[in-house]
Amino acid sequence: MTEVLLRADRINKRFGAVVALNDVSLELMAGEVTGLVGDNGAGKSTLVKMFSGVLRPDNGTIRFDGENVDFASPAAARGRGIETVYQDLALVGSMAVWANVYLGRELLTGPAFLNVLDKRRMISNARDMLERFVARVPPVDEPVESLSGGQRQIVAIARAGAWGSKLIIMDEPTAALGVAETRAVEEVIHGLRDRGLTVLVISHNLDQVFRITDRIWVLRRGEVIGSRETGNTRPEEIVAMITGAVPADRLG
Amino acid sequence: MAPASRQHTKALSELAKRHGLLLVFVLVVVAMLLAKPTFGTYQNIVNVLQQNAVIGIIACGMTFAIILGGFDLSVGSVTALASVVGATLMIDVPTFGIPLGIAGAFASCLLVGAVNGWLIAYAGVNPFVATLGTMTVVRGLIYVATNASPRFGVPYSFTSVGLGYIGGIPVPAIIFAIVAVTLGFVLHKTRFGHYVYAVGGNVVAAAGMGINAFRIRFAVYVLVSACAALSGIILIGQTASATPQAALGYELTAIAAVIVGGASLGGGRGRMIGTIIGVFLLGVVANALNLFGVSAFWQPVATGLILIFAVAADGFSKRGTFVLGK
Ligand SMILES: Nc1ncnc2c1ncn2[C@@H]1O[C@H](COP(=O)(O)OP(=O)(O)O)[C@@H](O)[C@H]1O
Ligand SMILES: [Mg+2]
Repeated sequence: MTEVLLRADRINKRFGAVVALNDVSLELMAGEVTGLVGDNGAGKSTLVKMFSGVLRPDNGTIRFDGENVDFASPAAARGRGIETVYQDLALVGSMAVWANVYLGRELLTGPAFLNVLDKRRMISNARDMLERFVARVPPVDEPVESLSGGQRQIVAIARAGAWGSKLIIMDEPTAALGVAETRAVEEVIHGLRDRGLTVLVISHNLDQVFRITDRIWVLRRGEVIGSRETGNTRPEEIVAMITGAVPADRLG
Repeated sequence: MAPASRQHTKALSELAKRHGLLLVFVLVVVAMLLAKPTFGTYQNIVNVLQQNAVIGIIACGMTFAIILGGFDLSVGSVTALASVVGATLMIDVPTFGIPLGIAGAFASCLLVGAVNGWLIAYAGVNPFVATLGTMTVVRGLIYVATNASPRFGVPYSFTSVGLGYIGGIPVPAIIFAIVAVTLGFVLHKTRFGHYVYAVGGNVVAAAGMGINAFRIRFAVYVLVSACAALSGIILIGQTASATPQAALGYELTAIAAVIVGGASLGGGRGRMIGTIIGVFLLGVVANALNLFGVSAFWQPVATGLILIFAVAADGFSKRGTFVLGK
């Protein structure tokens, strides 16, 4: 019953002589959390940059939500409902949490030509929006810079989820975080899935990948090695796929 | 330290951090009231208002530029430009010279603001370089156009703008109050002001969320020049003339007032009320030196020391070892 939200078909990308992606094909199922794993330099970041509009494939096609897409910019990808959470780049530290949640989408009040901010409504809404994804909501009128790294990440992720994106992409969302904070971020990712969002997450932490994903795709040296349902595989198998101890089992 | 007393200290330090500047200002005023009876007289208060309105209006505009992460060195030259262009038209055009002079002053200054804005927002020139350039070019052009001599003979009626009173308050101070309230509203209540904070705080994040950082930057530099134009027009009214050397060094005094007021040159931080207190703190100290008969040459020394002290206190308070400033 699950349908494909995004299908990448025979994507190629070179940087000069470096072949970053070689005929990569992959599918993301709607409503699932998909993990993308692979060694350093396997091409994971390059691949997700195609989906978030940062890079364009040399050739190959990306089908998203039933249509072929070719994003000229991150704004174009966001316009189609693909939101990417960048660590640290996403938030204005000196501004309050509510202001970041509403950044670029401010609610206004009063006569139209004045563009007066409706702060009261944004503050109370922002709290509600974050509550949908996290149990312990960070204080919404504190500046983001006063939050911990994990709380910031949670704000950035929840913001992406709150604005009705269809696909949320995260590249190593917990790389810089401690254990407790990592768990809190994972909880938000679960929150996104519970609300029917599709998530693509790159992670080096296999324990984490097994905790949060429904399906795992493995890249090695720019090629897809294969995918597994998380419930039907073991870490040993994924490690073998990552390191090359298992030959590629191309699908389709 | 016991938890209760630590709580207490924390509350105190929070109070000082939020209101340290106001505290210092009130202390200075109270000390002056005690030390010099003339300080609190109506005439002296009027003097302080009169003398600080022009720099205050410029500082209001400068607040936007500094929150944006830049600043504008050309405001002094632009103020002089408004004053020379405005006065010339008022003197040389027999009918409607005054409205024409005001319009001409604004038009010429907005043009400079647009050049600053374009250079900084679209051509990517560093604000220091761009506005240092226009500061020098504009001042040079003023000298060329006037042959470095002042223009006298502005219709006497126009001095009501610079020297007049309404309800016992000097007109320039009233104009300053209107500008401060209006721009405070724009900065703190409107989406435009909100975006100034966003672009100044983290331009990558702001642009990433679809905010047009170019447009915000451009508009801010035009706004700063508009404030300088208004100041230049008031200068005409204060002397019924215009001098090519007018407003020399105003850019640094305005920047100092904004920084003393708690804004950060790093961008993203600052408040209009802080700028206003900053303007009057510097103004009251200058006035105090004057009342004590200290040579006017000491005034920049005092301004510089207050600036350094304010920034140092802010740095200390962030590290939690010394609390003052905002
Ligand atoms: N902008 C770039 N210019 C040149 N080479 C790049 C660039 N981005 C990535 N690469 C190369 O492409 C390959 C894949 O990189 P990347 O997608 O970052 O891998 P991963 O995220 O899996 O660690 C690496 O060999 C990397 O050096
Ligand atoms: Mg990577």
